[in-house]
Amino acid sequence: MMGMLNLVLTNISRKPATRLYPFEIREPFKEFKGRIVFNPENCILCGLCQKKCPPDAITVTKANKTWELNVFRCIMCTECVKGCPKGCLSVSNERAKTGAKEFIKIAVPIVDKPKAPKAAPSK
Amino acid sequence: MTTIIPFGPQHPVLPEPVSLKLEIDNDVVVGVLPSLGYVHRGLETFINTKDFNQTTYVCERICGICSALHGITYTRAVEKLFDTEIPERAQYIRVIVGELNRLHSHLLWLGLFADGFGFESLFYECWKYREEVLDVAERICGNRVIHSISKVGGVTKDLTKEHIDMLLKMCDSLEPEIKNVEKVFVNNYTVKQRLVGLATMSKQVAYEAGTAGPTLRGSGNAIDVRETADWDIYKDLGFKTAVEKDGDCYARTKVRITELLNSLTIIRNAISKMPDGEIETRIKGFPTGEAIMRTEQPRGEVVYYVKGNGTKKLERLKVRTPTFANIPSLLLMLPGVKLADVPIVVLTIDPCVSCTER
Repeated sequence: MMGMLNLVLTNISRKPATRLYPFEIREPFKEFKGRIVFNPENCILCGLCQKKCPPDAITVTKANKTWELNVFRCIMCTECVKGCPKGCLSVSNERAKTGAKEFIKIAVPIVDKPKAPKAAPSK
Repeated sequence: MTTIIPFGPQHPVLPEPVSLKLEIDNDVVVGVLPSLGYVHRGLETFINTKDFNQTTYVCERICGICSALHGITYTRAVEKLFDTEIPERAQYIRVIVGELNRLHSHLLWLGLFADGFGFESLFYECWKYREEVLDVAERICGNRVIHSISKVGGVTKDLTKEHIDMLLKMCDSLEPEIKNVEKVFVNNYTVKQRLVGLATMSKQVAYEAGTAGPTLRGSGNAIDVRETADWDIYKDLGFKTAVEKDGDCYARTKVRITELLNSLTIIRNAISKMPDGEIETRIKGFPTGEAIMRTEQPRGEVVYYVKGNGTKKLERLKVRTPTFANIPSLLLMLPGVKLADVPIVVLTIDPCVSCTER
């Protein structure tokens, strides 16, 4: 009986174990794998991310110069991030937004950078 | 006169669909006919389209609760196929994550079990403690349930000092909480009235039916793959198999609670003995031959068979999951049980139907 009273008093005095979601949102942990972030600047369209992706969520089209990620297919294994030779891909700890049509496929056009002029051969 | 009553596939106590046709005579079960196959996904055939590295992610998705241990067993099987040793630190990390998996699985089961016999506050209490484990797993692996820590040749992530402090803190806070829960499960009058002497299975019957895991150990058989199989690392971690002799639902519950405390001991000892160094060995080439690997999951022993044919894809993957081994014992336990106790007896083997059907 005394043990139960102790438990009741503890439960009255302490904070609730739950949060008032969505007004109170927990900050994501820094290690949390939330979504894939693509930086098109250095992409060379090698297609290694597409080859490594287990659920075939990434499509690299060389002809159109686009990089696409199907967010609903992505399982956040981060194999593409580890496999990218140019470091274009990274993981953000923010959650991927789902439900909206535009987030089903994210196609990023890759623009050719102007080639740097060759240095004149030294004499 | 007997009546046939369907139990499942949708039932409040069942998280996943399994159908049992119960033959009832005067409110007592006299016969059972199981029916499986509602969530069959064909994962064993699906791996023919993926290479052996990608198959790790497929194997982790066989079961959501013991996902890390599925991945670890698969990668250990492929490493055996390559005849490669992985760094010791990687093995310790696998053990720690595997035990985290066991902790959250057992706490989940204890909650579901308490809910099964109508003790809802105990259900919330168990799941509240499970959250602590999931938070730690999220900070170590990046995900709460699908941990993806193991890869062929080692592990994907190293444990930092911050992670180790967090693990030790979790062990310290979880131990008194588990002991509190243990007091209720072991001493509470209502719980004992529901569980003691229910669906008793003798030591010999449990052994002969091929039962695995806590169901087997609850009947007095001290068989745990962590001690007996070829994963040497467990032998140094001060681990003692949890055994109960009675063979009833109460004994199986006590085994699982003891295993929770064992897991905390294993995590603490693994942290203290974990060496520094590499976490990965580079594996090149394509596997040939065949290998079998066994690991102790929360529900029991899982067996992985892999066969390589010299290409980047495996020719065959076969998984024998603990629930598959426990279904015959369930069919032996149910006759003689009252209809109202059937949900408790079904829950007591911790059924994971998506594991069984893959």
